[in-house]
Amino acid sequence: MNPSTTIDVSLVVNDAPVVLHCEPSRRLLTVLREDLGLTGAKPGCGVGRCGACLVWLDGEPVNACLVMAYQTQGRAVTTIESVGASAASEPVRRALADCGAVQCGYCAPGLVMMMTHLHTRVPRPDAAQAAADLCGQLCRCTGYGGLQRAIGTLFPG
Amino acid sequence: MADDALLPTPRRVLGHPELLARSRPRPDADAKLRGAAGYPTHRLRPGQLHGAVLGSPVPHARLVAIDTSAAQRIAGVRAVVTAAAISGPALYGLRHVDRPALCTDRVRCVGDPIAAVAADTAQTAQAALAAIRVTLEPLAVVDDAEAALAPTAARVHERGNLLHRVHYASADEAAWAAAEAACAHVVEGEYLSPRQMHVCLETEGGVAEPDGQGGLVLWWGCQNPERDRQVIAAMLCLPPERVRVVGSPVGGSYGAKDELTVQPIAALLAFRSGRSVRLHLSRPASTDLGVKRHPMRVRMRSGCDAQGRLLLHRVEILADTGAYATHGPEVLDAAVEHAVGPYAWTALAIEARLAYTNNGIAGAFRGFGAVQTQWALEQQIDRLARACGIDALAFRSRNLVAPDAPGPLGQEVVPSDGPRLALAQLSRLPIWLERGTVSDDDEGRYRYGLGVAMVHRSDGFGRGGPNGGKLALALASDGRIELRVSLTEMGQSLAESMKALAVRYLGCGEDDLRPVIGDSALAPDTGAAAASRSTSLLHRALSGAARDWIAALGEQAARHLEVAAGTLRFGPGGWSDLQGRPRLSLAELAEVLRTDLPHRVIHIEPEETPSPVPGSHWVFGACAAAARVRIDTWTGALQVQQLALASALGPVVSPMGLLGQMEGGALMGQGMATIERLPMRDARYLARNLDAYLVPTLADAPCAELHAIEDLMPGDTVGPRGAGEIAVNIAVPAVANAVSAAIGMPVERLPIDPDDLLDFLEREA
Repeated sequence: MNPSTTIDVSLVVNDAPVVLHCEPSRRLLTVLREDLGLTGAKPGCGVGRCGACLVWLDGEPVNACLVMAYQTQGRAVTTIESVGASAASEPVRRALADCGAVQCGYCAPGLVMMMTHLHTRVPRPDAAQAAADLCGQLCRCTGYGGLQRAIGTLFPG
Repeated sequence: MADDALLPTPRRVLGHPELLARSRPRPDADAKLRGAAGYPTHRLRPGQLHGAVLGSPVPHARLVAIDTSAAQRIAGVRAVVTAAAISGPALYGLRHVDRPALCTDRVRCVGDPIAAVAADTAQTAQAALAAIRVTLEPLAVVDDAEAALAPTAARVHERGNLLHRVHYASADEAAWAAAEAACAHVVEGEYLSPRQMHVCLETEGGVAEPDGQGGLVLWWGCQNPERDRQVIAAMLCLPPERVRVVGSPVGGSYGAKDELTVQPIAALLAFRSGRSVRLHLSRPASTDLGVKRHPMRVRMRSGCDAQGRLLLHRVEILADTGAYATHGPEVLDAAVEHAVGPYAWTALAIEARLAYTNNGIAGAFRGFGAVQTQWALEQQIDRLARACGIDALAFRSRNLVAPDAPGPLGQEVVPSDGPRLALAQLSRLPIWLERGTVSDDDEGRYRYGLGVAMVHRSDGFGRGGPNGGKLALALASDGRIELRVSLTEMGQSLAESMKALAVRYLGCGEDDLRPVIGDSALAPDTGAAAASRSTSLLHRALSGAARDWIAALGEQAARHLEVAAGTLRFGPGGWSDLQGRPRLSLAELAEVLRTDLPHRVIHIEPEETPSPVPGSHWVFGACAAAARVRIDTWTGALQVQQLALASALGPVVSPMGLLGQMEGGALMGQGMATIERLPMRDARYLARNLDAYLVPTLADAPCAELHAIEDLMPGDTVGPRGAGEIAVNIAVPAVANAVSAAIGMPVERLPIDPDDLLDFLEREA
């Protein structure tokens, strides 16, 4: 594929249909931030290690820096702009705020995305499983003390 | 414990459960959790240009020629800049003005900026960079601090490679000889501290934009907007008031964004193109150009008598500052001052050198120079305690300096009982009381160890540093009281501390106060949000000036109500009469005074030690800790299981803020001690992203607890000590000492390598 060719990608972003005209080399994270103005997903490493850009693709968590825009053809992308305003994330946001899991906050949207996904999963994972699944969300500020406490309140057992 | 009697009993301690019970969500938590915090790097707007920087591909070379003509011809390229585009001073720097915003005749490290472009798209910007022709004439690479100081070494700067040197001695030759003669035990070690990377999740970036009136606005996460403004204004030959810098909120800094990196380049691109320009470094570019913790080689020779009284301590420090000075000299000063610890020595001698090399750039990093010597010192202390057969806590407590003793370098300091109180608190915690139950199990696969450490650390900048500052109190037209500071919010909970201190000293309600943060146009120059100084500074300013200011407001309220000022009482919301009936709200007073709203700038005079010891500090906080580790003898895997911190930092201003700073700092220190490895070869970083440079994850976080001692010495006027750094300082030695306790291995190199553990265990077997 010629990298300068523009392709059309039809997808659903936060429940609204979107048609992108973009280069095939464009990543989902870039498209969200640059083309759609959704800056909640954050660039941290670009190699899928920090989790700051985590979004849902057809309801499953993915690092948006590792998804090419064309791979979203016909699929549904959900970002923090939608989830952060939803009732589903309310207990997660409250627990993270109450427990002190937020400092600089750059990792916070990715954390809410991953944690809300885990919290709404049926059956809900136990604390140990939730903690294991949250190891991809790097936080450099808090030392994870607040996150440990939030896991304790959100994932009993 | 033998020396329990020497330790006082802390009177006011907030244990972990109390700290949690008193914690409240940060004012900015919800916006951050919804992805709407508004970081400068998110200020993406249609029509903005994309900035990109061409960094040096080699560590050391003469810059012979730059040909940008081909780049300039590319459609969509709006500006191409080199050092020639800078009309003002070509160099900037804190103590040493040695760093070019864009290189002039020499590149001194990989990534050193040579040229930059602004273009319509990111792809065009990259194409333009690729079209710039640079002629470099390689120079000998200086990639080792010791080699850098050899007389024959290539010079990184014309002035030579020795950037800073400190010599300190507290005893003459005869006193040394006497101390040597009295030693029953002497231990020696060479301790290697690694480069550590800050890994702010938000890399350096932001937006520079012409303000339409010949000036410039910069939105850029930083620790000192006022300084950014001054450097950029000078570079562009603008009066400082024509440049506005909004530096908040910051997606993590820890020292990384204290000094300028590429914001002068963004400003230059915006100024030349007349357009808004965004620039946000990729993680690899941030690794190349961002500062790191100073690598240090610390040699110590320490001795005590048969009763365990410390006698002599000889320290030799060699540090690598890389290509430019930034905070290097102050970092070395801190390493020297904290190599002494809160301990009483009969004879003390310290030699320290800081070398320029071509190894990237080292600069400010939370823990700031001190941590590199503190973990070495704490290893030495443990080794002496073991040699004497005295437990780690008793050994430390019998060697602490008196509360009213001079500071580490003999300077006058604010009296403090912090170290003693912290050790006393630690001695009461279950982790210490139950130390006898730490034993190896699982059929010998795992070895466990409990390590103890003690540190004190300085607050603020050293003598001669920019310790003063200004902030402002104002009544806004909507009746809110504004506390205006140019400090920035980096996650440290500045806004909450401002609110808490305003409630305490103004007597207003929490919602009456609006913190105004991080904007050079809205606040006077408060100085840097750095060196654990923000809370202390705010405390000093408000405890001194707040009551006067609110009293002056009260007089205006009384004048309006035509009553005597003494008949009014100020409280949340405004003024009441002495029976508690509301008389005038803040909003009503603001309405009355709307053409002349009260506004007062508070000047905070620098408080420094009066002793003429350059760079030495006036105020110290203290922390003791115990860490429990598990070592897997099959794999060498090291797990920090438990960490108990006893801090003595004065009154707790923000319980959640304190807890968060301590938990976060501790894991950062643990990372330095255990896994954070940033190798260099031939002056190039071998790990440039988070797939190769590993930082702690949730799985690495120990079960941590904090016990905050609030006691201060009678007559103390300093109040709360900063909590931003000390947990880094304490966690490194606590973990290192726990490893030594577990398997008996002296830790002399960080991060602790599983292979080193296995080698040691093999030799031991």
